[in-house]
Amino acid sequence: MTRRTVTLSVNGQREEILVEPRRLLCDALRDDLGLTGTHIGCEHGVCGACTVMVDGRAERSCMTFAVQVDGAEIRTVEGLASSTGELSTLQQAMWDHHGLQCGFCTPGVLMAMTDLLERQPQPTRDDIRTALAGNICRCTGYETIVDAVEAAAATGPAR
Amino acid sequence: MSERSELHQDGDVPVEPRYVGQAITRREDPRFLLGRARYVDDVRTQGTLHAAFVRSDEAHARILSVDTSAAEALDGVVAVLTGAEAVEHWSPIRYDSTFGGWQGSEYWPLAPDKVRFVGEAIAVVVAVDRYVAEDAAELIGVEYELLPPVPTVDAAMAPGAPLIHDGWDDNCFLRRHVETEGFEDVMSECPQRRTLRLEMSRHSGMPMETRGCLAEWDDRNERIVLHCSTQAHFNLRSGVAEVLRVPEHEVQVIAPDVGGGFGIKHPMYPEEIVCSLLARRLRRPVKWIEDRREHMLTACHSREHYHDVEVGFDDDGVVRALRARIVVDCGAYSMWPLTASMDAGMALGILPGPYRIRNYLVDALSVSTNKCPLGAYRGVSRPAACFTIERTMDAVAEAVGIDGAEVRRRNLVRADEFPYTSVTGMVYDSGSFIESLEKVLEEADYAGLRRQQEAARAEGRYLGIGVATYTEQTAHTFEEFKKRGTPITFGFETSGVEVDPSGHVTVRISAHSHGQGLETSIAQVAADALGVDLESVRVRFGDTTELPYGMGTFASRSAVLCGGSTRLAADDVRGRMERIAAHLLEAAPEDIIIEKGRASVRGTPTASVSVRDIAHTAYLTPQLLPPGEEPLLSSTRTYDAAPGTGTFSNAALVAVVEVDVETGGVEVQKVVVVEDCGQIINPLIVDGQIRGGIAQGIGTALFEEFVYDEIGQLVTTTFMDYIVPGSPEVPDIEIHHLVTPSPFTILGIKGMGEGGAISPGALIAAAVEDAIRPLTPAHVHALPIRPDRVRAWIEEGAPQ
Repeated sequence: MTRRTVTLSVNGQREEILVEPRRLLCDALRDDLGLTGTHIGCEHGVCGACTVMVDGRAERSCMTFAVQVDGAEIRTVEGLASSTGELSTLQQAMWDHHGLQCGFCTPGVLMAMTDLLERQPQPTRDDIRTALAGNICRCTGYETIVDAVEAAAATGPAR
Repeated sequence: MSERSELHQDGDVPVEPRYVGQAITRREDPRFLLGRARYVDDVRTQGTLHAAFVRSDEAHARILSVDTSAAEALDGVVAVLTGAEAVEHWSPIRYDSTFGGWQGSEYWPLAPDKVRFVGEAIAVVVAVDRYVAEDAAELIGVEYELLPPVPTVDAAMAPGAPLIHDGWDDNCFLRRHVETEGFEDVMSECPQRRTLRLEMSRHSGMPMETRGCLAEWDDRNERIVLHCSTQAHFNLRSGVAEVLRVPEHEVQVIAPDVGGGFGIKHPMYPEEIVCSLLARRLRRPVKWIEDRREHMLTACHSREHYHDVEVGFDDDGVVRALRARIVVDCGAYSMWPLTASMDAGMALGILPGPYRIRNYLVDALSVSTNKCPLGAYRGVSRPAACFTIERTMDAVAEAVGIDGAEVRRRNLVRADEFPYTSVTGMVYDSGSFIESLEKVLEEADYAGLRRQQEAARAEGRYLGIGVATYTEQTAHTFEEFKKRGTPITFGFETSGVEVDPSGHVTVRISAHSHGQGLETSIAQVAADALGVDLESVRVRFGDTTELPYGMGTFASRSAVLCGGSTRLAADDVRGRMERIAAHLLEAAPEDIIIEKGRASVRGTPTASVSVRDIAHTAYLTPQLLPPGEEPLLSSTRTYDAAPGTGTFSNAALVAVVEVDVETGGVEVQKVVVVEDCGQIINPLIVDGQIRGGIAQGIGTALFEEFVYDEIGQLVTTTFMDYIVPGSPEVPDIEIHHLVTPSPFTILGIKGMGEGGAISPGALIAAAVEDAIRPLTPAHVHALPIRPDRVRAWIEEGAPQ
């Protein structure tokens, strides 16, 4: 299969990869760029574990071919903390509120909720639950994630 | 009570715990939050090949031929292996109950001649990447001779049913019967009797990380290194060695970060054997990561139970006798290492639950069908057993005209009866069954809820209130598994505690932490026992080369058993540190107190030496040690929580639901729980386990169901048709605690990892039945409570 060159900005860094047209964005991130923080939970767009930001909006990287996002700005979980490793407000709130257990869904949750807070800085608990509906967490029962997002919103703009 | 636990109950650590009991945020979290965790698919090895499996499209068939020629010709394919070719290289997975009358199955890693469920692996392709491997797998043609499918227990038990396993007498792995003396007399003398039939659907834990493994050959150590998403890496090593017929020292298993287990990752699976064999033969790393469809088809299913119950009781609602027939659909094969009879056996033992039932007759059947093998899922049989006994209690309440809470009050084991030996011989060590019930009724304002319900009904809204209680057997070891007839009795866990020359602590545990927070809670136990700062302790796990042996994480055992073994090992090390400090400080060892990382002489705090200096002395200047003292500051200990029948947590819950009687939809509005798991190590983690368990239980109650059609095809293979609860479906959970420490265990700890998931089926069923009671006399007897079922129950009450 003919490979095509795809140019991306990933967490602010320019990347060029040569991929088959059928290569999924999640596989490109994980296998071609070594960014294994993005997880694959269902490969059919329901569980949300693979959520990344594409040009500022949360997207399913398992439902996106890498060639579709040529030229896009991608942000993954690895891009949330500061360059010195300081956790984002939301990451810190997730830690403080026990918003994760096994951690597998966590990167997708972080990206979806970062997207929410960027669009809607003061969501209600219902808003958070609705926005979180696209991410399956099998460990926490969601309540502590909602607590964390609420607390992050109260802390102020995401850092 | 064992000698050891007395020692620790008395508390031979002379200072108050600094960490046990504290809500300490988890020390493992940053790597997960930063995207730096390492799950099995994140393990990268040079030259890795990728496997894809060819799986049976048929539920029951003979394999006539497998044509691999086109696959082998595809560019990028390195190897293709079929079951028929591989038969010489391994043994089938076989795991037999020790009970007489058992009929055993042979589960080949790749089916050589016959398939018994849709999804069973027939052949494997290994290629340079997964895309190519899947292309090649699609090119493999399998020719079948179809056999009549046996997709249900009714079909399996019908006279003349086709046999799933050649040579069996019928399609039953095992039948068991237990009956108390004079049972029939007691039952026949009961003033009132009722019968119920209860069903729980086949569903599963559905961890967000699917199964997966990476096997490589290690030339230097001459062994297979199997990285695997497993809960039980030592058991897996034993299993792989047995099936591949190699010594165990030729297998190393590494369980890296695991993205949820819930029991599904406890058994050994065919793919793990296949990848291990291929890595050894090809001398190349071979990786297989399950996709979600494969997971739904082949990762063990659970909890398909059918219970027929007759309950005899007096006019006050006190239960006098219980008769049960438990039938479990175990699917095609007996899984290693729990056996196909685990579910029926556990249900048989725990069915009477927290109630004082002394006359009991039970038949338990473990039936084979042409479906995915049954295995563990959080709570194992207890969600089904709890559903049955709680629905039975509600039926008794209805029959005698009292409230559901009141009937429980009259039947629960009382505080003064502990330790209580149940009718099936389980020793309930301690508990607060009635106290939890009273507290939850108070915290939930049960009377107020009833008033709200009245008011809602007046507005045409159908609110329902449910009450449920349960007891959770945890940390059971040899004695319990012996009773269940498992060849392995999972008798202990292991911890190694080491203070290194820099004075820092490493605790190595045989359990695996995949969300349970053991990196934090075990560190809390160790830091207190050693008298050091939490920050100086690291907890390690997940590699069979780190410890001699242990069992892993399942059956709510890790906090109790690894907590206990950690305490025992830490006590050994602290004893040695005290003797060294005493020698250095010219004091008596019994006068040494170690706290906050310093050893000092009681009454003379200025005379002190740091743990770091003690460690330095021990390892690097051993000439300064007391005469005869060994230098290493380490100890490895096991703990079995004798008497091995488990320690029992308990809880009581109240739920409020609203039923949309037009659509049959159910909304869970409120859940209040009072939980008692004895001494709590970390309340944050305990509450997290409760919330997560209840969320899964809401799935059991309302949504989750693997549906097979009449020819044994699984029709629920995506998250669009297998529904797990999302954030809108799970309410905030109100949690309260009582603390009744175990008299059996070190520190009085009880397990509690499964409890949350046990009762929601019973609880929500009771609430839904209560909600629709004005419309129908129907009983909520089947889970999940789908809208179509709710509508059908309501229709039963419609005027004819």
